[in-house]
Amino acid sequence: MSVVRAIAWRKLRFRFDWTLTSSAAVVTCLGLVNLWSAVHEKQSNLFSQQISWLGLGAAVFLGVATLDYRTISRYAYVLQGAGVALLCGVLLFGKMVGGGRRWFDLGPFHVQPSELMQLLTVVALGKYLNDSPALERRTWRHLAIPVAIVSAPALLIAKQPDFGTAFLLLLIFFTVMMTARLRVKTLAAILGLATLAAAPIYQHLLHEYQRKRFEAFFNPGSEGGYQTRQALNAIGSGRFLGKGYLHGTQIRLRHFPALWTDFPFAVWAEEWGFLGSVALLAAYLVLILWILKIAGDARDRFGATVCVGVAAMLFWHVLINVGMVSGALPVVGVTLPLVSYGGSSILTIAAALGLVMNVSVRRFSY
Amino acid sequence: MEIAGQDAELPEIRRRARYFSLIVMAGFVAVVGRLFYLQVIEGESFYRVTSDSIVRTDVLPAVRGQIRDRKGRVMATVRPSYNVYVTPRQLTSEGFARLRTVLGMNGDEAIDVWERLQGAPTARDGGGAAAKNAERPVLVAEDISREAMAAIETGVDLPGVKIESGPRRSYPNGTLAAHALGYMNEISAEELRAKKDEGFHPGDLIGRTGVERQWDGYLRGHPGFQKIVVDRRGLPKTDIRDVVEGPSTQAAVPGNNVVLTIDLDVQKATERAMRAVSAAGVIVMEVETGRILALASKPSFDPNEMSGHLTPEAEQRLLADRYHPLHDKTVGETYYPGSTFKPVSALAALEDRLTTPEEKTKCHGSYEFARRRFRCTKTHLTVNLHDAIVQSCNVYFYELGSRPGMLDRLAKYGSDLGLGAPTGLGLNGEEGGFLPTEEWYRDEKRKNPKSEGFQMGQALNAVIGQGSTRVTLLQMVTLYAAIANGGKLWLPQIVERVESQDGQTLEEFAPRVRRELAVSPDSLALVRQALVGVVNESKGTAFKVRNKDAKDVEVAGKTGTAQVGTGRGEGGYEAATHAWFIGYAPAGRPKIAFAVLVEHGGHGGDVAAPVAMEVVRNYFDNVDPADKDAPRVGQTRRHVGRGASAEAGPATAEASP
Repeated sequence: MSVVRAIAWRKLRFRFDWTLTSSAAVVTCLGLVNLWSAVHEKQSNLFSQQISWLGLGAAVFLGVATLDYRTISRYAYVLQGAGVALLCGVLLFGKMVGGGRRWFDLGPFHVQPSELMQLLTVVALGKYLNDSPALERRTWRHLAIPVAIVSAPALLIAKQPDFGTAFLLLLIFFTVMMTARLRVKTLAAILGLATLAAAPIYQHLLHEYQRKRFEAFFNPGSEGGYQTRQALNAIGSGRFLGKGYLHGTQIRLRHFPALWTDFPFAVWAEEWGFLGSVALLAAYLVLILWILKIAGDARDRFGATVCVGVAAMLFWHVLINVGMVSGALPVVGVTLPLVSYGGSSILTIAAALGLVMNVSVRRFSY
Repeated sequence: MEIAGQDAELPEIRRRARYFSLIVMAGFVAVVGRLFYLQVIEGESFYRVTSDSIVRTDVLPAVRGQIRDRKGRVMATVRPSYNVYVTPRQLTSEGFARLRTVLGMNGDEAIDVWERLQGAPTARDGGGAAAKNAERPVLVAEDISREAMAAIETGVDLPGVKIESGPRRSYPNGTLAAHALGYMNEISAEELRAKKDEGFHPGDLIGRTGVERQWDGYLRGHPGFQKIVVDRRGLPKTDIRDVVEGPSTQAAVPGNNVVLTIDLDVQKATERAMRAVSAAGVIVMEVETGRILALASKPSFDPNEMSGHLTPEAEQRLLADRYHPLHDKTVGETYYPGSTFKPVSALAALEDRLTTPEEKTKCHGSYEFARRRFRCTKTHLTVNLHDAIVQSCNVYFYELGSRPGMLDRLAKYGSDLGLGAPTGLGLNGEEGGFLPTEEWYRDEKRKNPKSEGFQMGQALNAVIGQGSTRVTLLQMVTLYAAIANGGKLWLPQIVERVESQDGQTLEEFAPRVRRELAVSPDSLALVRQALVGVVNESKGTAFKVRNKDAKDVEVAGKTGTAQVGTGRGEGGYEAATHAWFIGYAPAGRPKIAFAVLVEHGGHGGDVAAPVAMEVVRNYFDNVDPADKDAPRVGQTRRHVGRGASAEAGPATAEASP
């Protein structure tokens, strides 16, 4: 094993993907800069905690990158099973926060298994798609196992309840399946059914506060729209060049819940303006497009699928988070990858990027 | 892991991954578009919203300028007052009960204040508004007494109650010269909209009458401001800077002091001289400058009360008063001039050579014209122009009035003398009065066939200051000053200069001549001679009430007893004649002119002249003794008529039976 490890390290050193690492590092640094602005007045301990998480994340990134991803694919279903078990555990023993059980309370840390679950699902899907090739485009028949893989965590997460993350998981799932040659017709049929199912789900399955968020989105004047309105004011008032670093006013003078987990983009946009927002988004775009390029270069379906999955994960996170912060989408608890404060999110993304690095390093070798 | 089909499937996956790249880019373009809309297109308006919500602008009120008399004595100023504010959240009901006792609120007031404190929260700006309102102090009592202040300051058991001092307009002389000074009250929402750019804020006081109104722009100054960054509970946050665009503070510019031409001593003496009458107006003016020394209208009001919170009862009392205290009788009201108009008629007749000083008329106590009998005050027998003025003989003037075109001549010379149009002082809605013409009467006839149209009888009434002729006191005092000074019709002046708060003169207003009268100096001299006779000849209508002491200065003037013609029954107060006395002193070297009108006072010589005599006596005793040795001009001429002197009675036209 140690020999294998040593070879892996050498490969990593020679074929280290600097574009991937540096674009991720840029996003991370901007996120840190922003986090300091958001927390330095009240909760500067969050900043040092985030530094620790990032350190741990770097280790995870390198660790995952050095493992041969084929080894990982071998344990994909086991990992998926473990993840589902964690989700069950969180429903039973999780900490009650704001009307939902989403966290394990581990003393100083809170762990949110639903973040990790997204990655594990991507890996499991990669494993399935790798092991069962299809000679023609995939239809309903080929969907049975993937749906089984994704529905268990999706339902458990929805039960927490965290419809935002559950929805995100489905988006990632469909993105991966589309790339894995799912028929467009089939997808259209699924989306049609989902639309039909939306109304009863909204009426019967959603909690009161969730419905309120949706209503707030369509009616920003209502009471529930407070957060969105504050975020909009913050972003808009940043104008073209922003108010300057540490000079954001709206965010710090107003009471703003979930500022550093769900709304860091509002802080960024207020202080750095349109120009800064575009810069941050550009860094994300480079990262995501590079991951998709790695997917295109991958030697096998597992590597390609995992990369597409990770890219989808990042893309939908960014799109939904910025969309909700800028008032274009309802408020759902979706983090901004590498920028939001939180260990579960950081470690998950780190592991995901490690996997991508793994695929990138091994694209020529068999 | 080489599995069959792997290679076949990979290109398709790559292709789809590229499609996904396109979707990713499209997604980012959409997000950037959204941000562009928010931050660039709508950025300014969002910025305004946020800076408005975090920056509280406190108004720093400007100290209003003082109003002083010509010798620098304060007539209106600003003093500190103590106002009670209550923070609703911190107030307990026991605390309110104690506060109520300390402030001496009655039941209704207490209920009113309590409701204001509990005020319905405005749900408009979302949640937290009620909490925000409860944190904001509410003004519950203004200008409390020192005792109440002491009680609140020492009362530790009054949580949420605090006292803040604020400037308050104060008129240290109370009702003195109230109409000249005017009063202030709160600006209305409509005015606020109209004067948005002039630095007004809700709750500001604005001058309503008198100098306070006319000179408001000079007195007011410019309020400053202080911008404070606050958090969402409205508490100041000092550690956040650079949010405020432009200057964060601007000191208030205090208003300027307005120095009046009024002399407080003359004003006081004038108002004291009016003590015996209930409704009257008096103006004292400098003959050689047109500056007003005193402007008194009785009854007066207390501008302190008017500028504070006038209670509904007090307001009702002021409005219901039959003597109309809020009405300025010196400039805001017109009257029949009665016999005080005779100098105008005399000048018109002399200038147009309708008569000569020598021409005589026989007065038998009435004048027959067009089958109507126009009464005189008594039988004056043979009178010339001089005697007719001295004894106020109507018949002499009826005779002049019957000459063709006399009405239009009166209008012509009257307007040259400043009648029929406002003098230009502009204070308190100055009235212009009226001089009828033949054309006007004919016009009236055209509009209303029932009216008489022009008849010679109207000229006969006009020539003795009745009929349709209306004047203000200010016009008359200016006119008599012009007669006294040899023909200079002044623009009446009440403000001498404007000073900065530290006493620097900013603007000085020199006396301004409105025009030199067209009448000849000889005619003016003749009229002056007659005016001296009114007081100093034994037959003069004011001879009885003259200042008899040899040390006193000689007075010249003309009495008037104007029929008011309200036709409101017999004997009532409103039916009694207005008493006039208008003139100047000293007769030999005129210094001051005056006009006294006592509403429904009776005979001018008996009622109005004594007021004027006291004003004059006081002026040359106390204010300006230097002019006491003016040359004496009275009693140089033998009396022409016979019989005892008497006051001119009601002089009006009356149809013969």
